[in-house]
Amino acid sequence: MSGAIESRPLMVVRLTTSAIQEIGSTSQGRLLVFPVIGGTFDGERLRGQVRAGGGDWVTVHGNGTFTLDLRVTLETDDGSLIHMTFTGIRDDANQYFRTVPRFETAAPKYAFLNRLLAVGIGEIRPDGPVHVIEEIL
Amino acid sequence: MNTRLLMTMYVTVGPPLNIGTVPHGTRRTAPLTGGTFEGPRLRGTILPDSSADWQLLRSDGVLEMDLRFTLRTDDGALISMSAFGLRHGPPEVIAAIGRGEAVDPSTYYFRTMPRFETAHPSYSFLNHLIAVASGDRRPEGPIYTIHEVL
Repeated sequence: MSGAIESRPLMVVRLTTSAIQEIGSTSQGRLLVFPVIGGTFDGERLRGQVRAGGGDWVTVHGNGTFTLDLRVTLETDDGSLIHMTFTGIRDDANQYFRTVPRFETAAPKYAFLNRLLAVGIGEIRPDGPVHVIEEIL
Repeated sequence: MNTRLLMTMYVTVGPPLNIGTVPHGTRRTAPLTGGTFEGPRLRGTILPDSSADWQLLRSDGVLEMDLRFTLRTDDGALISMSAFGLRHGPPEVIAAIGRGEAVDPSTYYFRTMPRFETAHPSYSFLNHLIAVASGDRRPEGPIYTIHEVL
């Protein structure tokens, strides 16, 4: 039976966000929308720009944890569009910020993205969130 | 990426219901009739009446899995577990699995991303973690080795 989970780097995604839109209290918690207005992604197998028009729907729970629900469009340097989503957990008290990205693309060159599972390690930096994404092998 | 073992899960599967061709592929639902889970921090059984796998075989040959389990720990806590998974591989390997043969799990891709919800204080750590599972589709049922992403 297989033992440890192995992974390899997929890409680093750097997001540029604009002012937070606070929706407020909902049935799940306090809902904040972080609009994504741009950014970059870079890895051995793909790189390019994050298109404007995405966002991260973040719910702040009573215990201080955040759950994330992001969707963005990536445009590779050779002109392919990739739909990327993730859900995730951010728990600042424990420095835990992990996401589960998924990808959809019609570009044959990037079809491998349709067939993989991935995990992201997130970090909030002064110039915006950064997600280091690993492919689960 | 650092991970640590959360648990190993042994699942038994009942006869599937073949829904058939739907807009996104071929859909099939398999009841999960029971099983056990065991790890350093939790162990118990899978409750049969609220566990199933909703499968979609996509047109690109990838099997998407949407798994729901209710787990009961040996000290009586209920844990709701859901997982999204992908399974794909060489056609001959996937065909052998379909025939119920034992196949080396390293010859195909079978991974899931479990999430947990529980109200029980002893297991609340599960509410705040991301996990990755490696699957092994044995003839007697799938075995999932689930790791917490640290």
